[in-house]
Amino acid sequence: MIRTILFILGTSLASLALAQEPTLIRFGRGFAAEEQVWLMSVRPDLTPNQGKKYTLKQILFQANPERFQAFLAGELDAGTAPGLSVIFVRAQGVDLKVVASVCQEAAGKQWFSTTYMVKADGPIKSVKDLKGGTVGVVGYKTATDLWARAALLKAGLVPDRDTKVFSLGFPAMGEAVRTDKVQAGTFVEPFYSAEMAKGGLRKLFTAREAVGYDHELLDVWFGEKFLKAHPDVVRAFLSDYVAVTRYYLAHTEQAKRDLHKAGFVRTPVEIYVKNADWKRDPNDRVNVESLRKLSTFMKDQLGWLDKPVNADDMVDQSYLPR
Amino acid sequence: MKVLRPLILVAFILAAWQITAKSGLWSPILFPPLERIGRELFIFATSWDGAVQTWVSLYRAFAGFGAAALVGGLLGLVMGRSPVVAGMLDPLFSGTYAVPKLALFPIFIFIFGLGSLSKVALVFLECLYPMVIITSQGARNVPKALLWSAENMGASRWTTLRRVVLPATMPYVFAALRVALPVALIVVVITEMISSVDGLGYLISYSLASLKTDRILAIVVVISALGLALDRGLVMLRDRLVYWEKLDTYYA
Repeated sequence: MIRTILFILGTSLASLALAQEPTLIRFGRGFAAEEQVWLMSVRPDLTPNQGKKYTLKQILFQANPERFQAFLAGELDAGTAPGLSVIFVRAQGVDLKVVASVCQEAAGKQWFSTTYMVKADGPIKSVKDLKGGTVGVVGYKTATDLWARAALLKAGLVPDRDTKVFSLGFPAMGEAVRTDKVQAGTFVEPFYSAEMAKGGLRKLFTAREAVGYDHELLDVWFGEKFLKAHPDVVRAFLSDYVAVTRYYLAHTEQAKRDLHKAGFVRTPVEIYVKNADWKRDPNDRVNVESLRKLSTFMKDQLGWLDKPVNADDMVDQSYLPR
Repeated sequence: MKVLRPLILVAFILAAWQITAKSGLWSPILFPPLERIGRELFIFATSWDGAVQTWVSLYRAFAGFGAAALVGGLLGLVMGRSPVVAGMLDPLFSGTYAVPKLALFPIFIFIFGLGSLSKVALVFLECLYPMVIITSQGARNVPKALLWSAENMGASRWTTLRRVVLPATMPYVFAALRVALPVALIVVVITEMISSVDGLGYLISYSLASLKTDRILAIVVVISALGLALDRGLVMLRDRLVYWEKLDTYYA
């Protein structure tokens, strides 16, 4: 009898302990423009729910397809990705949803927008002059590819026929433009600032100018199964995420110094803290309209999608704090 | 039956793949069933673009492989017959054989440009090593009895090289070619995946960007078929040229 009571008591206590165990979020991150996501691991003191309702394991990925492959293999619950990449995987039927914004390509002198640069003393004065030339992007069917093609189309050029679009790594871009391997290259921070400091390059157009409207650059996504199984955990995570975003916006320099110290950023700290930053919404709300437009552009103008992707169905902002 | 034997393992692998794909354990996007891969393969095989992209990769592979075969074959022959040259070059080749030449690709891009030349140059470099090392081994291992017989019969050095050393080295040369040819294909595809606007490697990275695994696997099948066909062609050529020493292969 005593044994039975002890067994029931023990089982109940164990179940209680398990029930209170915070849920692990396996989160696939990238290596650029995701400051507030990284800050959640560097400054857990800013995230009251972390350790109580969830624990966060951030896993670094160099490219987006690998991140989604890991998700499909059941190794990730959530992550960051460009809105454009999410459109691609949704077109393939992958069951994930965008739940919050990370940053946007936006108009305004206070924001950084991915910049395409040419040789300062070269003959390319406008996008039209790229006819017969080559534009360097960081990967095919990436956001950098989309912006380059959008700018070419806008200038009346046909990508691949009039102007080649070539994949190169960010670190090689500056030298490739200077040595005329490509006539225009894509530059994001911190490469943009580093190349500007070296001199010899000038802006041709920005990502924002190429598509003509403010749009999502990076978003936070969660797998639909995880969303259904742990809605409160996602809400707790996003509540912390928004808090961290607001902290980051209010204390950008300190946050950047903390991230640098923690090894999330390799750029010399004095350059890093001075870099202009992408626009980040203090409420992390997603610009759904821009995803709608991007999806239409990808299908109709670029032929990248076989069928349209419903941007409204792709985004679920109900988990964000109201 | 002998011809069908190798297909048994292939059939087994395909069946295992299909069972896994249909099991629902993994996403069909990651593990597409054979019919989806087959459909992509059919689209590729019947499209003009598929033929063009295949030709682009083959042309790059053959250009680098051909140059490596010529230079490496000659160099290997000289190294095998001249201890002085071998003493000079062997440490260089042996010492740098294990270096992944792919790491030099960014430098090659800046020297030879973004187009085909940088890829051909890397294929050449990767194929050069097996060509030189295996050929030199063959040239060094020419049976002494044959060389002495030629000398005794009054053959000149040129005649000995042409009539004794070359034929005795030919099996090694073909062994080197068989090692280098798949290397050429691999390097071409990888370099095209890194930086190209055409070729089979480009198609792989392009399909990967939108998670088109079925298309990627269809291209992988094409590359495998090319590798098999080229190797088989090489063995057939070897058996015609080195008729005194037939290679014992399952398809010979």
